[in-house]
Amino acid sequence: MELKEIKCESCGHVNPPGTQLCQSCGKMINSDYDKKKIKDVMRYDGSAVRSKVRQKSIFDKIWIFFTSVKIGISIILLIAIAAAIGTIFPQEYFIPIGADPAEYYSDTYGTLGYLYYTLGFHNLYSSWWFVLLNGMLALSIIAASIDRGVPLFKSLHKQRVKKHESFYRRQRLHKQTDHTADTEKIVEGLSDKRYKVRKDGDNYFLEKGKLSRYGPYINHVGLIILLFGSMLRFFPGMYVDEIVYVNEGEQEALPATDGEYYVENNNFTLDTYNEDAKEVFDESLNQRNMVVSNFQTDITVYENSSADIVGAEPELEEVDQHSIQVNHPYRFGSYELYQSSYDNTQLKSLTFRLEDSDGNTLGENFTVNLDNPEESYQINEDIEINMRAYAPDFLEIDENGSLVSETPVPNDPAFVFETNDGEDSELSLLQVMNSTDITENNDYNIRFVESEEHIASVLTLKKDLTVPFIASGFIIFLIGLFTGSYVNHRRIWISAEDGFTLGAHTNKNYFGMKKELNQVLDSIGSEPVSDRLDDEHNGKEKE
Amino acid sequence: MQKKTRNFLRISIILTITVLIGITLWFNLTSDNKTVAVGDDAVDFQLKTLDGEDFRLSDLTNDNKGVILNFWGTWCEPCREEMPDMNQIYTNDYNDNYEIVAVNVAENEQQIQQFIAGLDANLEFPIALDSSRSVTEAYNIGPLPTTIAIDKEGKVVRKQEYQLTQDDILAFINDATG
Repeated sequence: MELKEIKCESCGHVNPPGTQLCQSCGKMINSDYDKKKIKDVMRYDGSAVRSKVRQKSIFDKIWIFFTSVKIGISIILLIAIAAAIGTIFPQEYFIPIGADPAEYYSDTYGTLGYLYYTLGFHNLYSSWWFVLLNGMLALSIIAASIDRGVPLFKSLHKQRVKKHESFYRRQRLHKQTDHTADTEKIVEGLSDKRYKVRKDGDNYFLEKGKLSRYGPYINHVGLIILLFGSMLRFFPGMYVDEIVYVNEGEQEALPATDGEYYVENNNFTLDTYNEDAKEVFDESLNQRNMVVSNFQTDITVYENSSADIVGAEPELEEVDQHSIQVNHPYRFGSYELYQSSYDNTQLKSLTFRLEDSDGNTLGENFTVNLDNPEESYQINEDIEINMRAYAPDFLEIDENGSLVSETPVPNDPAFVFETNDGEDSELSLLQVMNSTDITENNDYNIRFVESEEHIASVLTLKKDLTVPFIASGFIIFLIGLFTGSYVNHRRIWISAEDGFTLGAHTNKNYFGMKKELNQVLDSIGSEPVSDRLDDEHNGKEKE
Repeated sequence: MQKKTRNFLRISIILTITVLIGITLWFNLTSDNKTVAVGDDAVDFQLKTLDGEDFRLSDLTNDNKGVILNFWGTWCEPCREEMPDMNQIYTNDYNDNYEIVAVNVAENEQQIQQFIAGLDANLEFPIALDSSRSVTEAYNIGPLPTTIAIDKEGKVVRKQEYQLTQDDILAFINDATG
């Protein structure tokens, strides 16, 4: 099919190829057009949708591909389906900390889990194909908006007042009488209804609520800003969500700050509701043993002035002190530090006592700090205990007699203690709950007394500079949705050249428009407009 | 709209979105693994050694020396096994062109001393203490042992993530000094 520009037979306006209704006078150019779709005749005001016109370069082909509504909907569907699948198994940030995702998914969920991981569903929002889909959605939205928005703008921007006689008849609401006397009054009455009036000889064009037509495009602008904001999350420095694990009394470098900031956990508090406090809560309190009323970490924040050299001893300067509670984070710069959880499963120290063979406790108990154990412990004036070997996570005793540890974490500490009373020394191997004599016929026994755990506060470091984009994107999206849904674009064409002819069109809510028009007509004692849809309906009933 | 404007608009929008998707994917892929690879510039760092001295990587490379970094822990069996081999080659074949630094990952001195005491010979090369794991993280070390050779220009020239044989050690020395 050869595509040519089309000259209107009636008014001589030159229309781009593909035009259905003359841009200028509204005469139908393609005579089949309204036979196929009666209701839709005014879609895009009959302008040519540009992508359907010419195909040339590779860019044009890509462009045309993405302007297709089918393609747009397919992309949206794919995104929705992927997002749904992404909820079947937990996302990567919900699996236990430290677990290797490659193993975790296939071990926990079998073959499906393996596929889930391999295809990137475990980290859906950052899997490459999901990012690609969102980029394609952006292109589809932009291409479709430009392709349809520009012709729409053109046709709405320069509307001619005078229309071809057939144009009036084709509108759903129309009215034709012989006497033209009331024209001025009708126009005046409509003008009071906030219609903007333009006049050309004996022809009038009245319009209001044009913004309604741009609703979808405002909406699309919001979506594009939203997509832009979510893209920025991937850019370094825009988005941080990290876990900080700080033992009570220790300092930890804050991740993502390149060692510039340190946080010290001065004290972690866990308060529970007092069970006797109030009767109203008794029932719910009895259901669980402990109801927490407050998690709190008292922190000191430091700035490190030697952060530029990795590993160097930090030179810390105190910046601030703060108490972090749930929902009451510490804010500094663009960062927020939230109370997330706590951990008291890591052993900190073990306390032992020394017994003689009769079972009497001797001297002072001694405490071994598992992070940095001391070499020797004085029990009383005579007896000293030396730590000869220590394995934090005891596995076995190797051939040369040393203790082998499986990991550096004190999960199952084992010691070789030498008890020396000045005359003799004897050795014993001690695990927390069980001890073995190494030397024979030992006089002394070392007994486990108690353990102390590290109280670690788990904090979440957050930073999100994309919020302004996401928020404004959503607001614009909603504004677009509102204008598109609740504002009606109403147009009325009146000609008094050859009798009184009126055609009226709205993009939605014909009922409301009919009511408005008839009110005005009624006030001057004129007959109401007729509705083509009603006419057809009645016509069918009569048959 | 003119045809020219239209073409310009189409091409620029398609290219912009393609470039943005590309950048996003690139950031996305690189943020996960900043693993140090052969050919990268070695990150300079400073750590305390077991002897209480400050060790700084750039001091050695500026001094025209190659450096072999061996990340290890006493609880890791292959680390324990390769340590005497490294020590032997280092002492027999000592020259001024390179240095071996054994970077211990976050263990206390008691554990390290206990390990050294169990060896037949004293370790002659320095042991650096990365108690906060900051160097281990900066080099994004995965499994232990991981050994990295750095040449005189401060470039990473060799990397191995499992136990070194004697031949491997010689190859590392060769690359670091080469």
